[in-house]
Amino acid sequence: MGELPFKLSQPLTLGIELELQIVNSRDYNLTRGASDLLGSLAKSEHPGDIKPEITESMIEMSSSVHESHVKLIAELRTMRDAVAAAARTLNLGIAGGGTHPFQKWNDRRIYDTERFNQLAGLYGYLAKQFTVFGQHIHVGCADGDEAVYLTHTLSRYAPHFIALSASSPFQQGEDTLFDSSRLSVINAFPLSGTMPLARNWEEFEAYFSRMQGFGIVKSMKDFYWDIRPKPEFGTVEIRVCDTPLSVDRAAAIAAYAQALARYLRLERPWAISAEAYLVYSYNRFQACRYGMEANLIDPCDGSSASMRQDLAATFSRIAPHAEELGSRPLIQGLLMGAQDSANDARRLRARLKETQSFADVVRWQCEQWMQPR
Amino acid sequence: MPELSFLPALPLPSNQIIWFGVLLIAGVVGGEIAKRAFFLPRITGYVAAGLALGPDGFALLGRPMLDELGVFADISIGLILFELGHRIDLRWLKRVPRLALTSLAESGLSAILVYFTLTQLFGVGPLHAAVAAAIGLATSPAVVMRITADLGAEGQVTERTLLLTALNCSIAVLALTALIPSLYLEYRAGWRIILLHPLYLLGGSFVLGLAASALTLQVLQWIGKRVEVQVLALVALILVTVGVALILKFSVLLALLAYGGLVRNLDRNHSLAAPDFGLIGQMFFLILFVLAGANLDLAAAVKGIAIGAAFVAVRFIGKATGIMAFIPGSGLKARQGLLLAVALTPMSGLAVIMLQDTQSLFPEFGRALASLVLPAVVLLEIAGPILTQLALKLAGEARPEPAAKG
Repeated sequence: MGELPFKLSQPLTLGIELELQIVNSRDYNLTRGASDLLGSLAKSEHPGDIKPEITESMIEMSSSVHESHVKLIAELRTMRDAVAAAARTLNLGIAGGGTHPFQKWNDRRIYDTERFNQLAGLYGYLAKQFTVFGQHIHVGCADGDEAVYLTHTLSRYAPHFIALSASSPFQQGEDTLFDSSRLSVINAFPLSGTMPLARNWEEFEAYFSRMQGFGIVKSMKDFYWDIRPKPEFGTVEIRVCDTPLSVDRAAAIAAYAQALARYLRLERPWAISAEAYLVYSYNRFQACRYGMEANLIDPCDGSSASMRQDLAATFSRIAPHAEELGSRPLIQGLLMGAQDSANDARRLRARLKETQSFADVVRWQCEQWMQPR
Repeated sequence: MPELSFLPALPLPSNQIIWFGVLLIAGVVGGEIAKRAFFLPRITGYVAAGLALGPDGFALLGRPMLDELGVFADISIGLILFELGHRIDLRWLKRVPRLALTSLAESGLSAILVYFTLTQLFGVGPLHAAVAAAIGLATSPAVVMRITADLGAEGQVTERTLLLTALNCSIAVLALTALIPSLYLEYRAGWRIILLHPLYLLGGSFVLGLAASALTLQVLQWIGKRVEVQVLALVALILVTVGVALILKFSVLLALLAYGGLVRNLDRNHSLAAPDFGLIGQMFFLILFVLAGANLDLAAAVKGIAIGAAFVAVRFIGKATGIMAFIPGSGLKARQGLLLAVALTPMSGLAVIMLQDTQSLFPEFGRALASLVLPAVVLLEIAGPILTQLALKLAGEARPEPAAKG
């Protein structure tokens, strides 16, 4: 066994992490609320795990590991209700969305732990600009080789995940024109991007120990890749998603990842190749910028297709696997709902057009996420 | 015609415009000195600057001019009370009834303790003690709002300090109005005035607040979500409301609190972005504190030091006990509760205004009352801002100091 043991986990099990916004209920700006909220939640019983994140205006909600998306949804709803109840007691709002529409990055406060203070010291203004909110999806892998295979092949679908989850059209009080402007923030970090072309776990371990030897990284945590293996959990982790506006949408996107992973690991449609990465940045930019209107290039034959065509084609390929997992109607709803270009970014823009006020947009985001009782 | 008639006559008269400017710059300088040299809140510097200029200091600013400048204090109070009223979020109180109980407990206990301390230890008559206790239960809204803004404080202690202040100010004003019949009775007024005056104050002020808020919401909706325009319109409407309240002899305090509270809670369409009076607000805040400093009666404080110290001490004990009693289930830790109680300590301009209002109706009673309340006001004018600032810093809610500049 090498230096980076890959934890055994049951293939295709599912777990997600959601980074959430904490806002005040006066002007709906981000506010310092994480420690108060976590203090209050510590007394209540809830499944999963709710943790601080790098700034005081953010918390992270992690689900347990599930075989089926049905249990995942149920658990996420329970957790959401617990968080929402605590937030109501403190008169705070909790919202999804990849960015806060009008917060000023310099107002943010670093959550007081050693690791976060160290990151803030290392990355300076980037740490505060990192006030963005993502969804991470974990899918269980049989072994390290499978994790490496899935990391590479799932990268072809990264644009789907970006467009489906995109909910960060606004930043610093401006419309960015992007559907997901959050990912551009992550690009600024030196260890962002994609995994290098290791073909199996052994090669990956060799790469990792060289990087460790250079003193560039200490652990897997230091890689901010779009998709990465997570040996500690025995999973592949998809990190390109914005936090959607509701837990239900987050769960649906996770179910899509699960069905895709099943299709990839059982049918093995592609070998690992460098070619897939030729178009990666282009497709990723298209998805971030245009969302459902993106134009994607197929790395195999160079043909181009619209996001909608590509989603429909993918759905027909993975439908049997979704059927097996019991998530076919859910995924059909998600991917086919995309046919009318609806994603959260578009909904947020519509909301702004209607209300002409970013504060009203955030208030609506809170309603979407907290679900008024 | 004398040849030099174009020259001003001697001695040179001063006017309010000069004094407004002088007070402003004195406050700015005082505030910066307090902050830089003594690490004190700027407010303390504003008050000190006023004190230095005023009758009890170098007496550059005489009593008549001070009274003329009162109009600026009225404007400031109007802005502050509106913003304070706007802090009263009824939906939060409905969701967490414990908050309302906390407010009643901290207000009630501090008033009761002050009442018994004055009657039992200092032999003060029950009516004087009751009015003093009603005035004393309020926290200074101006101090609390200014300190939280200056520190950029955010968090539960900050939010609840502001909410409890808004509530205890409302309770104090209502309690004082409720005591008016007893005062009239004491002075053997007729039953009509006993009954009608409080009703006039209460009803009139509320109706004015209601009318102003309805008009405001209409205007704001018409303006749309342009914050700068909204703020100007809001300031204008607040000035008109303060003016009307003064003309009709309503309670400015009650009318403006009701106005702010109703705008917040009747605003179903969310027409008002959170009011932030920005620089205009800051200027009037500053003037208010400088004027408060200039009006400080140090002699009264020195004479009544014992009564003032006892007042401040039992008032704090009452507030702390009331808050700690409802800590379980409030979402706060015990330490935060204690800091909240400390943050609620300031007492200042609002107390003086309630005092003056009483004094204008019952001059003789008012003078005796002043000797009970003023010592505490003077003590807390100095100590209050420092305590609030300390509490919010210890709670970890102040904005971190910017790193040293290179």
